[in-house]
Order: sequence, then structure tokens, then C-alpha cells
Amino acid sequence: MVRIENLSLNLGEFKLRNVSLEIQKGEYIGLLGPTGCGKTSLLKCIAGIHNPLKGRIWLNGEEVTHWPPEKRKVGYVPQDYKLFPHLTVEENIAFGLRNRAFSADWVKELMELVGVSRISKKRCVKNLSGGEKQRVALARALAIRPKLLLLDEPLGAVDSVTNLKLRKEIKRIHDQTKATTIHVTHDFEEIVGLADKVAIMQDGRIVEFEEPRKLLKRTRSKFLAEFIRARA
Amino acid sequence: MNFNKIFDATTKLALGITCVFLVGLIIALYAYTGVGEVASALFAPETIFAIELSLFTATVATALSIAISIPTAYALSRSNFRGKTIVDSLLTLPVVLPPVALGAMLLIFFTTPVGSTIESVFIKFTFQIPGIILAQLVVVSAFTIRILKSAFDDMDPEYEQVARTLGYGKFKTFYKVTLPICKNSLVAAAVLAWAKAIGEFGATVTLAGATRMKTETLPIAIFLNLARADVAQVAALILILIGIGLSAIYFFQKVCGSYRIW
Repeated sequence: MVRIENLSLNLGEFKLRNVSLEIQKGEYIGLLGPTGCGKTSLLKCIAGIHNPLKGRIWLNGEEVTHWPPEKRKVGYVPQDYKLFPHLTVEENIAFGLRNRAFSADWVKELMELVGVSRISKKRCVKNLSGGEKQRVALARALAIRPKLLLLDEPLGAVDSVTNLKLRKEIKRIHDQTKATTIHVTHDFEEIVGLADKVAIMQDGRIVEFEEPRKLLKRTRSKFLAEFIRARA
Repeated sequence: MNFNKIFDATTKLALGITCVFLVGLIIALYAYTGVGEVASALFAPETIFAIELSLFTATVATALSIAISIPTAYALSRSNFRGKTIVDSLLTLPVVLPPVALGAMLLIFFTTPVGSTIESVFIKFTFQIPGIILAQLVVVSAFTIRILKSAFDDMDPEYEQVARTLGYGKFKTFYKVTLPICKNSLVAAAVLAWAKAIGEFGATVTLAGATRMKTETLPIAIFLNLARADVAQVAALILILIGIGLSAIYFFQKVCGSYRIW
């Protein structure tokens, strides 16, 4: 489904160094690492937002390394969600849909899927709570029926109670949609119950790629042991 | 001694003195002319011509300025290239140069072979109405570019990145996301540009001259009436400009609140 081969990027402060990764269809991958290790940069390379210096990216068997973001059909939920402030809830969710006339039922379905069917479709997104914004952003990304869903610290801006609730919701949504997902976080505990596999990043490199339970048992590097201990 | 109270009193006193000074100037104008003279000056053919010409030229110059400034400011905000600081400084030059110098630069340009060809083949600017529009455009564009660049700088590019992942190309993203998010700044830039263009004198008088009932905008009408010592007419024209200026600034503040230009 997703194959990344020797990807390198240099954005000054943020670097990727020969990152390689292979993700199977429907898998839920946690991308874990300390702040500044290159998690978001990797996500943005996959989405087509950043152009890598070298390396190649395949999505569904097609090489997309130099495709612009609009051609990749990748759902992206950035940190702080970035809901369009000039649009309503409904307009945000339907933003990526080409034919708005036939999208009303799909928007309704998505709102039910992410658990925001009770809020008004005409509501301004500025007035939503953190949890509601997260759900609307998720619905907006899912609306285009993406091949791949990229979540950049999706639970970073919500309180601990909402965080726990949303984790269950994300798990349920993934079970329903079966969308291949990469979930960026710096919290091992957040990802342990969600991810099929966890990739650990350090200084722009992937240093581990393993099932979370196996990772917990086998802490190969000193960095990993310290990182998991500090976060768990 | 309570220094906090002294500090508060000093700042409020400074605010009060500044306001009293400006209000005093306006009252003096009004007292000098009176309602009758303002009314008669307002309906004089020369005043009506000046108002119409000012409104027309300022509106065209503002529209052109916004049309030029949007892509310029966006390119300056989003692109990184060698010499960007030099380009940025160059575009800010009209802010620091006296308008009369800008007018003189334009006038000299139209004496060069390129300038003369433009005037003979396309449109005549020197001592003509298009010259007023060009002079206003050059003066106000530096301000609109700065305002819009600041707005684009302040807008998180992740909004655009999200729109791109949702299937929008660069132009559609700009049109559907960037411009609506920066709408307030766009209105602010237009209002400020218009107000500045209405009051522009230095560059206009140098390039378009001061010909009665031909290139006579409101500031030029003030200049011409002052030259023939018609102080009552001058006062009336200034009151008209104050009315237009205050309305524009009030609208700007209502729309943009504490918007920063720099």
C-alpha cells in the first residue's frame, strides 16, 4: 500500500535521512518520536506537501514521489486541525468533494461516523470545542475517500478525558473504514492500543518498526528504552 | 508617591492634548468658514469637479493597486529566493521616498525613449488624468503590498496545504482558501489605499500638474485656492477631505480592529 525508499529531506531544522518504510493495506501505523525528529516532515512528504531531496514514494503500487498533493488522494489531518475558519461545519467536511449537489448524504453519513451528527451543519467552526474540531477535521479528510489517512498529533490539543474518548472513536472509525492510517504522536501510551505497528523516529531516521507489544518487551536501543519509559 | 497613578495620568494627558490639538484645528477651520461658506464651496462647480475627479482617480488607482499587490505580496510572502530582502526593500521604497520625488521620477521616466514610446503609442500620462492615476498608484501600492504581505505572512500555510491534499490546485486553493481567510486585510488595504490616494498631492502635482478643471483633484484644488489666497474655499475643501478621511479610517478600524501594517 505505502512504500517509502531511502527518503531524504532537508528543511534546515527538520531533516529526513534515508527513511524506508513499508505499510500494508488497512494497517494502522503509529509514528513515534521526540519533537523535531522529523515525524511531521515525513507525513508531509507522503502527502506531497514537501518534495524530498532523494528517495521514492509509492502509493497503491504507483510511484507518486513527484506528484502534487491534489493528485495523491491522501487524507491529511494537521496539528490544530486547520479547519477553514470562513466555512461552516458542513462546508468544511464537503470541501474536498467535487460535486457538492450529491454530497449532502455523504456529509451526513460522515458526521454520524465521527460522532458530530448532533451539532448543526451550519455552525461556524470557530465556535467548536477541541474534540469537535478534531472530529470535523477527521470527517473532512475522510470525505474524499482517501487511499491513506495521515493524522498529525490528532489528540495533541485535547484534554486527557477527551483524548481517551477520541482514541476509542479513532479505533472504531478505522475498524469501519479500514483506511490505511499513519498516526503521528510523541506519546507511546496514546498509540499502543491503536496501532498494528509502531515506527520510532530519531534524528530523521526510523530506528525501530515493530508491533507495539513486541516493542515494549524488546527495547533494542538505549534511546528507545528511555523514550518509552519517559512516555509510558 | 504612587508612580502607577502618575504614569496613568501622564499617558492620558498626552492622549488628551493630542486630541484637543487636532479637534482645535478642525474647529478653527469651521469657525473661519461657517456653514454658509462650506455649503457654497461644496456646490461650486470647481469643488464638484475636484470631488468627482478625486473619487474617480482614487477608485481606479485603488483597484489597480489591489490587483497588482495581491500576486506581488503573495509571491514575496511564500517564495524564498536569493535577494528577497533586496526586493522587499525595493518595494518598500515608495513608503520612505517623498511623493514629490516619486512624481519627479515618473516625469523623468516619460522623457526617456521607453517612456516617450509608451506615451505616443499607448496612453499619455504627463499632465493628463491617467498621470494622476499613475502617481496615486505608485504611492499607494507600497502600502497595499506591505499590508497584504503581512496578512499572507500571518496566515498559516497549513490551511493551503490541507486544501491541496483535498484536491485543490494552487490557484483554486488561493481563491477558495487564502483570499477568504485574508479578507479583512484585503478590505483594510483597499480602504487605506483609497484614503491615501484621495489625499495624494506631491506625486500627482509633479506628474499631472495643477491645471484648474483638468487635473484638479481635492488636494490640488486646495493648493490652487491657497495660491490665490481664497482661504474660505481652502477651509471648505479641507473639511470635505477630513470628512472623507475620517469615514475611511473609521471603516478601516471597524473592519480590521488592531490590524498591524508592519
